[in-house]
Amino acid sequence: MIETPSVAKPREGTWLWLFKIVAGLMIVILLGIHFVVNHLVAPAGLLTYADVVRYYTIPFVPVMEILFLVFVIAHALVGLRGILLDLNPSDAVLRAADILFILIGAGFSIYGIWLVWAIVQQGRAL
Amino acid sequence: MMKKSPSPVNFWRWFDPRNRSISTWGFILNRVTALGLTLYLFMHLIVLGKLAQGAEAYDAFLEFAHTPVVMIGEMLVIAGGLIHGLNGIRIALNSFGVGVVRQKQILVGLMAAALIGTVVFAVKMFGS
Repeated sequence: MIETPSVAKPREGTWLWLFKIVAGLMIVILLGIHFVVNHLVAPAGLLTYADVVRYYTIPFVPVMEILFLVFVIAHALVGLRGILLDLNPSDAVLRAADILFILIGAGFSIYGIWLVWAIVQQGRAL
Repeated sequence: MMKKSPSPVNFWRWFDPRNRSISTWGFILNRVTALGLTLYLFMHLIVLGKLAQGAEAYDAFLEFAHTPVVMIGEMLVIAGGLIHGLNGIRIALNSFGVGVVRQKQILVGLMAAALIGTVVFAVKMFGS
C-alpha cells in the first residue's frame, strides 16, 4: 500500500500574518518617534519623571502611546507564536500557547493603558 | 506543505552557520532580535510601573539607568530595534514580491543604515 504524505494546512492564517506585517510597519513609525523623544531629544538620553508627565500632557501623545503599546504587544506575541511554529508543536501545545499569549497580551495591554491613564492624571494635577 | 515532526532540532538549526545564504542570515537576525526585543518589552513595561509610584521612585530608577551597564543595554535595544525594524521592512516588501531579486543588496544597505543609526544614538547618549 502506498502511503500518501500528510498535508498540513498553514498554522499561521493569512489575517494573522497580514496583521503582523501591518502592525510591524506601524511600530517602525511609532518606535522611531519613541526612540527620538526618549533617547535622542532627552538630555542624557532618558526623560526624567517631570519630562514624561509634561510629554503626556500633549493631547495626541497618550493615544499614540496606547496604539504603540497595543501594536507592539500584539506584534511581539504573534511573532513568538511564529517562532513556536518553527518547532512544529502539537495542536494541543499550540492551543495552550494561544491561550497563554492572549492572556499575556490582554493583561499587559490593560496594565499599560492603566499606566498611561495614571501618568495623564498626574499631568492634570500640575 | 509536508508536515514535519515536532523537534527542538529545528530551533537549534537557526544557529548552525554552515551553508547559509545572506538572506538566511537576515532571517536569523530577525528571529534573534525578535526574542531579545520581546524580553526587553515586558521588562520595560514592568519597570515603567515606577512612573505610577511618583517622581521619587522613577527618578531614583533613572540614576540606576544611567550606569554604564544599563546604558550599554539600552544601546543594544536601540541597535536591535533598528535591525529588526529595517530588516522587517525588507521582509514585508519581499512578502509582497517587491525587491526579491535585490534582497541581498537591500539587506546590506538596511543593515548599514541600522549601524549608522546606532552610532548616532550612541554618540548622543554617551556623549552628553
